[in-house]
Amino acid sequence: MSMRASRKIPLYAVVAAGVITLVLPLMLSSTNTEIYVTIGLYTIVVAGLSLLMGFAGQVSLGQAAYYGVGSYTAAILALHGWSPLVALIAAPIATAFLAFLVGVPLLRLKGHALAFGTLAFQLIFLAVVPETASLTGGSIGLSAIPSLRIGPLAISSGRDYAYLVWIVVVATLIIARNITRSRPGRGLRAMAASVSGASATGVEVERYKLKDFTLSAAFAGIAGGIYVFFIGYVSPDAFPVVLSIEFVIMVVVGGIGTVSGAFVGAALITVVSQVLTSLGTSPSLPPQLPTVLSLGVYAVLLIVILRLLPSGLVGAFSRLWKKAQSASPISHVEGDGTEGAISATGSEEPDELTLADEV
Amino acid sequence: MKSTEPAAPSADMSVANDSVLATVDLVVRYGAVVALHGVSIHVAKGEMVALIGPNGAGKSTLLNTLSGINRPASGRILCNGKLAHVPEGRQVFPDLTVEDNLCLGAYRGGSRDTAPMYDLFPQLQRLRNRRAGGLSGGEQQMVAICRALMANPDVIAVDELSQGLAPLVVSDIARHLVELNKQNGTAVLLVEQNAQLALNITSRAYVIENGCIGLEGRSSDLLRNPAVRAAYLGGIR
Amino acid sequence: MTAFVEYLLTGVARGLVFALLAMGFVLIYRVTRVVNFAQGAFAIFGGFITYSLLKAGVPHGVSEVLAIVAAALIGLIFGIIAIGGDVPLLASLVITIGLSILSEAIAMLVWGTIPITYSGLAGHDFVIFGAFIQRQYLIVVIVSLVVFVALLYGFGRTYFGKALSACASNPYAARLSGINVKRMGLIAFTLGGALGGLGGVLVTPLSPITYSGDVSLAITGFAAAIVGGLTSPGLAVVGGLVFGIAEQFVAGYWSPSNETAVALALLIVLLLWQAKRVPVGGLE
Repeated sequence: MSMRASRKIPLYAVVAAGVITLVLPLMLSSTNTEIYVTIGLYTIVVAGLSLLMGFAGQVSLGQAAYYGVGSYTAAILALHGWSPLVALIAAPIATAFLAFLVGVPLLRLKGHALAFGTLAFQLIFLAVVPETASLTGGSIGLSAIPSLRIGPLAISSGRDYAYLVWIVVVATLIIARNITRSRPGRGLRAMAASVSGASATGVEVERYKLKDFTLSAAFAGIAGGIYVFFIGYVSPDAFPVVLSIEFVIMVVVGGIGTVSGAFVGAALITVVSQVLTSLGTSPSLPPQLPTVLSLGVYAVLLIVILRLLPSGLVGAFSRLWKKAQSASPISHVEGDGTEGAISATGSEEPDELTLADEV
Repeated sequence: MKSTEPAAPSADMSVANDSVLATVDLVVRYGAVVALHGVSIHVAKGEMVALIGPNGAGKSTLLNTLSGINRPASGRILCNGKLAHVPEGRQVFPDLTVEDNLCLGAYRGGSRDTAPMYDLFPQLQRLRNRRAGGLSGGEQQMVAICRALMANPDVIAVDELSQGLAPLVVSDIARHLVELNKQNGTAVLLVEQNAQLALNITSRAYVIENGCIGLEGRSSDLLRNPAVRAAYLGGIR
Repeated sequence: MTAFVEYLLTGVARGLVFALLAMGFVLIYRVTRVVNFAQGAFAIFGGFITYSLLKAGVPHGVSEVLAIVAAALIGLIFGIIAIGGDVPLLASLVITIGLSILSEAIAMLVWGTIPITYSGLAGHDFVIFGAFIQRQYLIVVIVSLVVFVALLYGFGRTYFGKALSACASNPYAARLSGINVKRMGLIAFTLGGALGGLGGVLVTPLSPITYSGDVSLAITGFAAAIVGGLTSPGLAVVGGLVFGIAEQFVAGYWSPSNETAVALALLIVLLLWQAKRVPVGGLE
């Protein structure tokens, strides 16, 4: 179910997903509603990052910081008397602007400077927030954030947020899909997938990369904005480096560059992290166990999936699905069947995006 | 181009005992794209053979497959001796000196003595400690040929000898190749877009189009072949 | 003056440690084009393993060498996981991120969360311009200088070194010449592991290390390496020195808590400066 193949999703599946999304918040407990909203927020962040990794071939290790910038932007503006809705809309704009400033120099450098640069950005973010208490509340953070209103509609309960988040999820996924279908998206993707090299010029490539990076930050920013109204307070602890790494893992698990993968990855890792936390916090166990467990599981997931299932879970399942559906045997092969030696990643299906090399 | 003669009917027949290099029904793919559809060629000991054809016909793919960069989907490669490959675009080691470039040609074994190369191309002598990346195209082509020769090959495959070079430089290097072939008996497989040059210095030639051998024969015959003249020689130069 | 000399010399020593890490980045990047995120992990393993061996009664010298060998082995294993087989570049990079957090998990499990250190080789501290300098700093300077000279000789003069440089210079042509580029990549990872391990072995007596110390070491090492565009070992050493000295001056004259922030700010400045030098579209 790569982005291109997703138009083949049958209507009943879309309807079923829609119904489940609408009905689920009515039935969930408040803890589970929180998880449900979190999955939605992370899906938004991951969709952006997936776009960046799949189409620009770049990794950002600062998405949690952009999530944080969105949160703080919304919180600070709302606390300074701006309408919460305006504050929420300003969140992705401010985040995107910041990412643009960071991206312009970083994306010109070779060797995945973006990965280290964004990690540095995240660390600077975590170092700066506690030092600017007058604006950000320092390490204690900001609280008493006014609740969100959209016109006459007050968004207050967990259920309200569940609906709001999923509306935004659908909107961001549609934006992501359109971008990948658009000409620049296709061009970049063709380049990323081609062995023989790029057809577009360096300047064009640079512009597409910058656009993807800025957009991925905007996605993180809007998610951060919703998060802060949902939780009602914000502190730097909510945006650790490991969250940035989790976002990368979600992308990889779901399948790099796929829309449905963003949701699958976000949902799966959010649940896994809940389970790991509850597993590790039993009082009889050593206190560092939860961290060891989660780091270990994340690392193994990342490595195993990239080595064994480079197109992620969604890619692997859709391939199985296709195989099960196609009644005809393997298309006839000229020669002695040693094909596939040229490229190990998805050579049978040149349509399918797996992993982009640096372009 | 329409072939006026059919391609060699049986590849196996044409693999004579004196071949240093031959392919039999070679098929190469890039993913779903088939780059070579059953290509059969052979080069005899001490022979100079040309492979001509338009851009994208599969010439470089064939050479890369011969040197093991691409893996064939099917077919056979018979190599009865050592093959050295001078790739398209020269592909010197730009950050290394000329001397180091030559030395690394002997990586698979053999003598690392570069003196015979400076005898062959005396121009390189004074450039030996210069970075290869800073040399002119013709000088880089000499470095690339010498690097290949350092492996002491029985057959040397040269990809696009003339690409991007001035005609005088090309004919100078081509003369060296012929000389080398005569003196050492090194077989040459010359892959060229410049058909005139290739057919002039070789004894036999293949025309490759869309991943298939369309024509083969004596170079002098192909030079006179109307279809070849129309497609590769006529009016273009 | 005394303080100035002290900060300068300690800065040089720490800078050389960063340079060792940076050399590892450069080496691996040049041969494989992979930016190895787990470079800092080699250093913490080097430090931790030395610590455990010393505690088990293994004498100084032997412990350090064994730890460096272990780090080299870890480098080889990481290399196999990251680039073995047919892996796209981006996947290799993300795999090294995974290896980095895996290292943290292992280090935390084995050595816990408390910072550890050990004393360097016994001997007297010495005085330069009235500044007391620990002997360990002198050792760091001598050892790393010897290693740099050995590396420069090894790469520039030996046939093997030339083959390694050939992989970096033109991987396609290297393959045509019969050089096994993949194997060279694994050798680069192994050497990178040894360099990182050496850095860790040298720095632990000066500043205690923790399981999560690899990230800051990796970032600083990367920053030093980016001074030379990730490809120049000489400039990577310069970069390491700049970061080491800057860090010590900031910590000494301003406040130790600003150390990281300043290093990061310096990294951003360096990246901006490097980006300015790259022509538009001049991407690799």
